[in-house]
Amino acid sequence: MMDTMFLKAALAVYFVSALGYVTSLYVRRVMVAKISTWIFFLAFLCHTIFFIFRYLETGQTPVISIHETLSFFAWAMAGMYLAFQPKTKTRVLGAFVSPVTFLLMITASKGLEGYVSIPEVLKSNLVPLHVILSVTGEALFALASCAGAMYLIQEGLIKNKKVSGFSRMLPSLSDLDRINHFCLMWGFPLLTLGVLVGSLWARTAWGSHWQWDPKQVWTLVAWAFYALLLHQRLAIGWKGHKAAFLSLLAFAILLVSLVAINLFFVTAHSFI
Amino acid sequence: MNIILIGMNHKTAPLEIRERLSLTCGNDANHLAEIMKFPEIQEVLYLATCNRVEVLANAVDTAGAVEKLRAFIFHHGNLSAEEMARCLYLHYDDEAVRHLFRVASSIDSMVMGEPQILGQVKDAYRTAVEHNTTGVILNRILHHAFRVAKRVRTETGIAHNAVSVSFAAVELAKKIFGSLEGKTILLIGAGEMSELAARHLLNQGVRKILIANRTYTRALQMAENFHGTATDFDTLAEKLRDVDIVISSTGAPGYVITPPMIEAAIRRRKNRLLFLIDIAVPRDIDPAVNEIDNVYLYNIDNLQDIVDTNVKSRQREAEKAEAIIDEEVGKYLEWFNTLEVVPTIISLREKMEGIVKSELVKSGSWMQNLHEEEKKNIEILAGSIINKILHDPITGLKEESRENGALPYIAALRRLFGLDDV
Repeated sequence: MMDTMFLKAALAVYFVSALGYVTSLYVRRVMVAKISTWIFFLAFLCHTIFFIFRYLETGQTPVISIHETLSFFAWAMAGMYLAFQPKTKTRVLGAFVSPVTFLLMITASKGLEGYVSIPEVLKSNLVPLHVILSVTGEALFALASCAGAMYLIQEGLIKNKKVSGFSRMLPSLSDLDRINHFCLMWGFPLLTLGVLVGSLWARTAWGSHWQWDPKQVWTLVAWAFYALLLHQRLAIGWKGHKAAFLSLLAFAILLVSLVAINLFFVTAHSFI
Repeated sequence: MNIILIGMNHKTAPLEIRERLSLTCGNDANHLAEIMKFPEIQEVLYLATCNRVEVLANAVDTAGAVEKLRAFIFHHGNLSAEEMARCLYLHYDDEAVRHLFRVASSIDSMVMGEPQILGQVKDAYRTAVEHNTTGVILNRILHHAFRVAKRVRTETGIAHNAVSVSFAAVELAKKIFGSLEGKTILLIGAGEMSELAARHLLNQGVRKILIANRTYTRALQMAENFHGTATDFDTLAEKLRDVDIVISSTGAPGYVITPPMIEAAIRRRKNRLLFLIDIAVPRDIDPAVNEIDNVYLYNIDNLQDIVDTNVKSRQREAEKAEAIIDEEVGKYLEWFNTLEVVPTIISLREKMEGIVKSELVKSGSWMQNLHEEEKKNIEILAGSIINKILHDPITGLKEESRENGALPYIAALRRLFGLDDV
């Protein structure tokens, strides 16, 4: 019961902080964004406690069902944002991150009230590991794309000499590029490991490492885009505009794999 | 209220007249001593900056004081009667307070919102305090003015956003690079505005400055000024590889920097961002370079547009500031009105009677055993103790007020008995 209580609390507090962040964009007061950041942190804590209670009460890592996965995605993204926050001083990123977190939580909470019985096939230690690694990687990619989108907006404003209005709210190009770069650097190895662990599990469950399932294929395509982007960044020295654009494109493909496939395709990767 | 403010600023007096009054941009204590010799004046503050000369005084006799102050300015500024009439402004009482609040809040400044004026007012006040020329009234006005200035600064956007071309360039550089720590500038050609921009950037932590000029000796000279490195004009294309910010203001008739040069440089510099500032007329940098990825070009007109927008937004903010000042002048007047003798005596009495009443209530538990008559007697006793205690201070205050010197006593009394804290 405690877990549900903290889930509801987290949901409510996420909502308040999202509201605060969006308000801070309108009133353009740093104080509002600062307070929102603390509220967001509080929501993150509630969310963390939810995970702990859920783990203690069910004895399994709560990342298996689609709803649990979404909630974990939101948690990872929030945590990562809060971790960068003091270093990069880009509170306005919160105005992008907090509403996304809240929406993810709304969707997730619908299936989190009761417990789901887990099919026998998923009762393996590899499954939570697969999900945690992949979802953390994907959450980092989500942050990278937030930073990328902000980069493209800020850059467009600077190029077109419209620097007096909204542009003031956005962080500098260099900071945004740094966040984008950092998220890619960490997201890529995590997703790669996640996919590898998944394929180890697939070997035991389905008999082969790779099934050419639509979900696997789309993820592979997105992974290839991220590999390309990382290569361009590290070897060719891509920065700024192109890197931001490609990180948005790659995330769009990843989203297809994450959301659209489960809704519109027949996939072996859909369990609960 | 006998407050006088007499002075001139950049709006009312041309520079040559202002400088006759203040040869240096500073506050001269000799003026204070001279003004304090006038018997009509009790307290004085003398503020002189490059843009204004102001005397704020608390007078015993307003008309006489104004006469003396006019003569003082006439004498020091060597002004004609016509110039005096044209340049001087004179404010009394609440208008004088308002004027000082506006000055301290930088609304009356040539560049609205500039931060120096508050420091200058503080310096002038410090000098006055050191020479013991301020008292109850001016101390209160000045401290209030500092508070108002702080309020205006935090509650309005009057000091936000650059209002000069060179600062606009610095703000843009920060928007692109975040911190300017460790960045490198290339300064091409010479010119007042480009050098000013370079200086501002250096103040923001820019590490290194390269200087290119058609005449190498001139480049060497400037490099010495900026503690930079002179560089050959012919190797400009190569230098573009290593720098982050370029400021160009040459007298060249054609483009000095062209898209092929930048494209080559961007490849070699691994796409690091490049900010180009073209201050020259005719332009030095082909506008087409703005189309190249990760390159941001601003010319003098673009920067001026930013400045114009910012000036307009400061003017809008000034309206908010005026409202704050109105409110604060009101608060000052409220305080000032309490400085009359009669209201002070009344509030002193009320305070004492309040204390007696609350003590009687506290003692109610043991007093309930007493007869009604005895209780009455205790109240009467307490009342007469109050009267005896208050008798001397009240008589003293009344005597002082007849001789026009009651203000410091009233202020001290209000402070010591905590009469303003209600």
